[in-house]
Amino acid sequence: MKVALVGQPNSGKSTLFNAVAGYRSLTSNFAGTTVEYTHGQARVGGEVLELTDLPGLYSLTPTSAVEEVSRDYLLAGDWDVIVNVIDASQLARSLELTLELLDLESPMVVCLNMMDEAARKGMTIDTHALEFALGVPVVEAIGARGRGIMETFRTAQQAADINRPHAFVYAPEVEGTVKKLTEKIAERARGRPVTVPKQSGVWSQQSGDSSALDRGPLSCTAGHCSPACSGHPPAMEGSQGPRVVAVAVLPVLPPAESLARPQPTQLHSPIANHPSPMSAFPPARFRALQWVQSDPRQIRRQEPEVAPAVEWAQAEIAVRTGLPADAAVSSARHAACLTLFERVVHIARPRADWREQVDRLAMHPIWGYAVLMGVFLGFFRLIFDVGKLGEARILNLFDALVAALAAHMNTQGALFASAKGAVLGTAGAVAIVLPYLLPFLVGLAILEDIGYLSRVGYLMDAAMHRLGLHGTATLPVLVGYGCSVPAVMATRILTSRRDRFIAAFLAVLVPCSARMTVIFALVGFYLGANYALGIYLLNIIVVAVSGTLLARIWPEISPGMLMEVPAYRVPAPRVVALKTWWRLREFVLVAFPLLVVGSVLLSLVDYYGWQHGINAVLSPLTTLLGLPRSVGLTLIFGVLRKELSLLMLMQALGTTHVLGVMTAVQILIFTLFVTFYLPCMATLASMMRELGWRLTLAASTALLAIAVFISLAARVVMLLF
Amino acid sequence: MRDTENFGSPMNLYEAGDHAELRILLITGGWEVRRSFNQMGIQPGDRVRVLRRAPFGGPLMIDNKGTQVAVGKQMAEKIRVEVLP
Repeated sequence: MKVALVGQPNSGKSTLFNAVAGYRSLTSNFAGTTVEYTHGQARVGGEVLELTDLPGLYSLTPTSAVEEVSRDYLLAGDWDVIVNVIDASQLARSLELTLELLDLESPMVVCLNMMDEAARKGMTIDTHALEFALGVPVVEAIGARGRGIMETFRTAQQAADINRPHAFVYAPEVEGTVKKLTEKIAERARGRPVTVPKQSGVWSQQSGDSSALDRGPLSCTAGHCSPACSGHPPAMEGSQGPRVVAVAVLPVLPPAESLARPQPTQLHSPIANHPSPMSAFPPARFRALQWVQSDPRQIRRQEPEVAPAVEWAQAEIAVRTGLPADAAVSSARHAACLTLFERVVHIARPRADWREQVDRLAMHPIWGYAVLMGVFLGFFRLIFDVGKLGEARILNLFDALVAALAAHMNTQGALFASAKGAVLGTAGAVAIVLPYLLPFLVGLAILEDIGYLSRVGYLMDAAMHRLGLHGTATLPVLVGYGCSVPAVMATRILTSRRDRFIAAFLAVLVPCSARMTVIFALVGFYLGANYALGIYLLNIIVVAVSGTLLARIWPEISPGMLMEVPAYRVPAPRVVALKTWWRLREFVLVAFPLLVVGSVLLSLVDYYGWQHGINAVLSPLTTLLGLPRSVGLTLIFGVLRKELSLLMLMQALGTTHVLGVMTAVQILIFTLFVTFYLPCMATLASMMRELGWRLTLAASTALLAIAVFISLAARVVMLLF
Repeated sequence: MRDTENFGSPMNLYEAGDHAELRILLITGGWEVRRSFNQMGIQPGDRVRVLRRAPFGGPLMIDNKGTQVAVGKQMAEKIRVEVLP
């Protein structure tokens, strides 16, 4: 049996998932960071449940790529029952998604999670009244303490077979038109040749496929549904009869035919002679509602077949209600939610909450920024201290390994050169990952899970606006200080392509932990810590300037930030571990192989003596920057691995005492160039995946230009003083 | 179809004072704006309270039935409100 866990961000559904399915999902305290959905199995009452933990979504009309993933999964219909997890303390808002899910007229269970939190807010929820009103079982739970979790899944198991909820009926002004639209479209479909649907009931508003009507669920509304259609979960036999309330509520069982689980052959049999759009999934009313709520421009572009009918319906609703159609539907739903909320919730005086006091400080117009500075200075200091401890030991370990290899192999052969490269590549990767990236990601996950990052978003929104972004984009840029690869991936939480591009560009511009080692080992060591900090400051200025310029070049379309600020929570160690692993995995899978291959290539170049050719090709650049010709190769391989440019520099110069070969000015210029120029291969690969090659190319060119400009400027300045 | 007319309401959410009880009268702006507010459960007719605001034209924090939402300046300016006594 397939169970889909659906809920708004921060509703704690991943906690439920983890409690039964083990260590394979994520929970988050920053709206919408669970990007990919996870699968897992759980044994409940002797049956194996296939659980799918979907990324949090606020509604079935998505605003970000993350939400689209969940919506598309739900509408594909490859599940037997929905478990709708709700943060009970946010009941009023959460019910909006619940009502939308009811429109799917499919088996569903509502899990009222975080009941303790609701009690603290002074809320008493009449679960039975809610159950009766929604027509689906409602289970109380406190996921963090493991309460009510098994009961939720046990109820889901029962509900999958018998529970066929009714959609909630909204205001007549809306329902009347929606019904007419449903009929119009069904009529259209009946007049069309019927094709066998390839995929059961897949309907995506954003598919951009104008032939969706030909292949989609409507083709099986004509009563010629193929066995391929059997996959969809809901059967509408019960929907014409009396409301089927969950067994958990009523001891009286619903009529026998609605008890029967639909078989492929009987799916449409009761209405075979009277083809009705009700027999498809998603239900016709649901589809009509979605169309009515959609952007007219989008409908016209993507589904011209239905556009005239939809536009007529939108106009009729607008005339009847005096509101744009989407606003009319959402306010009808909102009104239904509030009525329901008033009916089932009693609010007493909330208990005094220390978290309100914390926010008074943490979000204070002055002290808030002091706290922010303190938190992040302390955070980076801690990482750097931890990192230094580990790095030397790890590198020593691998040096010993190379020595051992040298003792057992022919040190003159190409094989040894590649083996040495592979070992050194692994060493470099491990020496970055374990001491620096790991503590960074753990710390970030803790800050995120506590809920502090949302506060950072609130505090930084005004500043991020100057860069043409919103407070929401703070997370990717911060992750950029750890590793650019997960940073680029974190831009998925943003709504527009433009925001994703600018955020990714700035995140890449920020020095990652690999570049940090170069900055500290070269400039910090030879010129002093103040110079190293100066590079960081300069970087922040460059980020600010390029952000401002980008915002001019590609003006903002999205209107601004609207972000939930969740209550502070105690971070769950398991959740922090999972989130860290999730981000680390992106580094390990994408960056690790490239690092090792790059290192092997580097050794081979050295072995076969190709460096002179490469240096000659790059000599215009090195001459321009006033650097020794021999560092040309270093720059090429810095693209493969950033921290490799350091290793390579020493190798190219043939000494570990850099100051003997390069002047202090040259070291500074070299470091500046390495800090700003092209991102590493792994980052480029993830940028290609998230943004496409055009934007990646544009970003790389811009980065290269910035690096040349800054290093040249530094050279001129240093010559003058 | 024109989205929403400007009714010249006395103030928008951004201008409203802190800690005041407000009622949302109208959400101006296009389809995307309405969708975003709808997602956060904010609709005309709701009573909200401004908890605090960030400096330098930063966002407001509002409380709507126990849900705290940070609303950026441009978004807040799209909401017309009346101050409740």
